[in-house]
Amino acid sequence: MHYSFNWALIFSDEYGRWFLEGLSITLQLSGLSIILALVLGTMLTTMRLSRIKPLVWFAVSYIEFFRNTPLVVQIFFWYFGSDPILPDFFKHWLYQQNIEFAIGVIALSTYTAAFIAEELRSGILSIPKTQLEASRATGLTFLQAMGYVILPQAFRIVVPPLISQFLNLIKNSSLAMTIGVMELTYMARQVEAHTFHGFEAFTVATLMYLSLSLLVSLGINQYNRRCLRVSR
Amino acid sequence: MKMWKMSVLLTVASLFLVLSAAQAGKIDEIKARGTLIAGVKDSQPPFGYVDENSRQIVGFEPELCAALAAKLGVKLELKPITSSTRIPMLEQGAIDLIAGTLTHQIAREEKIDFSITYFPAAQKLLVKADSGITSVADLAGKKVGSAKGSTSEQNIKKAQPECTVVSFETYPEAFLAMKQGKVVAVTTDAPILLGIRNSDDNPADWVIAGEDIAAEPYGIGVPENDSKFRDFVNISLMEMWKSGEYQALYDKWFGEKTNFHIPLTWTMELWP
Repeated sequence: MHYSFNWALIFSDEYGRWFLEGLSITLQLSGLSIILALVLGTMLTTMRLSRIKPLVWFAVSYIEFFRNTPLVVQIFFWYFGSDPILPDFFKHWLYQQNIEFAIGVIALSTYTAAFIAEELRSGILSIPKTQLEASRATGLTFLQAMGYVILPQAFRIVVPPLISQFLNLIKNSSLAMTIGVMELTYMARQVEAHTFHGFEAFTVATLMYLSLSLLVSLGINQYNRRCLRVSR
Repeated sequence: MKMWKMSVLLTVASLFLVLSAAQAGKIDEIKARGTLIAGVKDSQPPFGYVDENSRQIVGFEPELCAALAAKLGVKLELKPITSSTRIPMLEQGAIDLIAGTLTHQIAREEKIDFSITYFPAAQKLLVKADSGITSVADLAGKKVGSAKGSTSEQNIKKAQPECTVVSFETYPEAFLAMKQGKVVAVTTDAPILLGIRNSDDNPADWVIAGEDIAAEPYGIGVPENDSKFRDFVNISLMEMWKSGEYQALYDKWFGEKTNFHIPLTWTMELWP
């Protein structure tokens, strides 16, 4: 064992900048995907709890499909598999753009939405059914009752499991490197390939992921405690 | 607790054994063992790949290693390596040498030693035949595919700062992205590009284009600080060139009759 540690290398101008660039892409990728996944997840869970059969079927099959296939397969499907079904003129324009990043966001948000929908559903089901009945009785429509009465409470209840989903998403975002998105893990491998100091490179990446995750979970918990506190 | 202490002791003891083995010269070690263990590529035709019929690793580099083993009078054992495992495997002593499209880089000298160049590859572009791309200058504002961790990835960014590099796990994936139109070119060492091109159903649709983006001289990787072993490899390579054995081998894998025709236009570094 004659491994010589060289931490200064990692923080040198060039490699340090790579790590920051990677971190910034990871933040953008995760941030955008979290927002989209929340919106999509809420829509799915509303569909699933509605009384309209086709919507329920759609939501159930969506959730089961996306929860039960590996994310990497989904990423490759979106990236390589979508090619034959896209029209030519659109493809030509699309491929000039930053399609790798866009596919990363689509794959991460559609995947995580399935999990968020299930978390939200359990939150909604934990709210007494009488509340929905009471709000319907006062003349609110189903969507209004959901939007004003049920969902605001359900969201508060599911904050802790939602945090886990957000953290999962942040960690899953590293899979976007398989289609060439230059996020944090990609950059760490890049640094390793150039310097042969894999131990240092991945330690820095690990610490960055760890602090990012801790910040997110601390932040949301604080927000939940201070601003959304509900007496139950 | 006792078990725990015991296992620590055993680990330390085995570490010492490994270290003391590393002290003896590689040549003595190989001769005592009776086999030369060479790390070669197993999916990079024609450098090193698994033959469909015999299920054995064959290629230019395995045969080069066979010649070295013959000079030592020992048997040859081939171990498959990848671009990311080869240097750690050599450092740990799992293999005696690397003959696997290993570019001789100064940065790599920190970990291992190199022989003289046995194959002077150069980085080029693979593009669609009707794309109109003939040089690196044409890539401005376009997307170029490459593989992660390769020297090509870094070189193309230097040669054309205005292009976007999209890196994949392997070159076949980068090639698929080009076929779908997501990147306009794939860049790496010309012999590898030739291999990808010839694996396609319609090789004529693709051409290797552009100037030499960077030199990629392949050297045999040998353990750090074992100059006797490195001398042996260097002198053997030179002897093979002088006797014509090298040229015959080259012709077998890169000659006109093969799918990987690259004219032999260089001369090996020969010491008087």
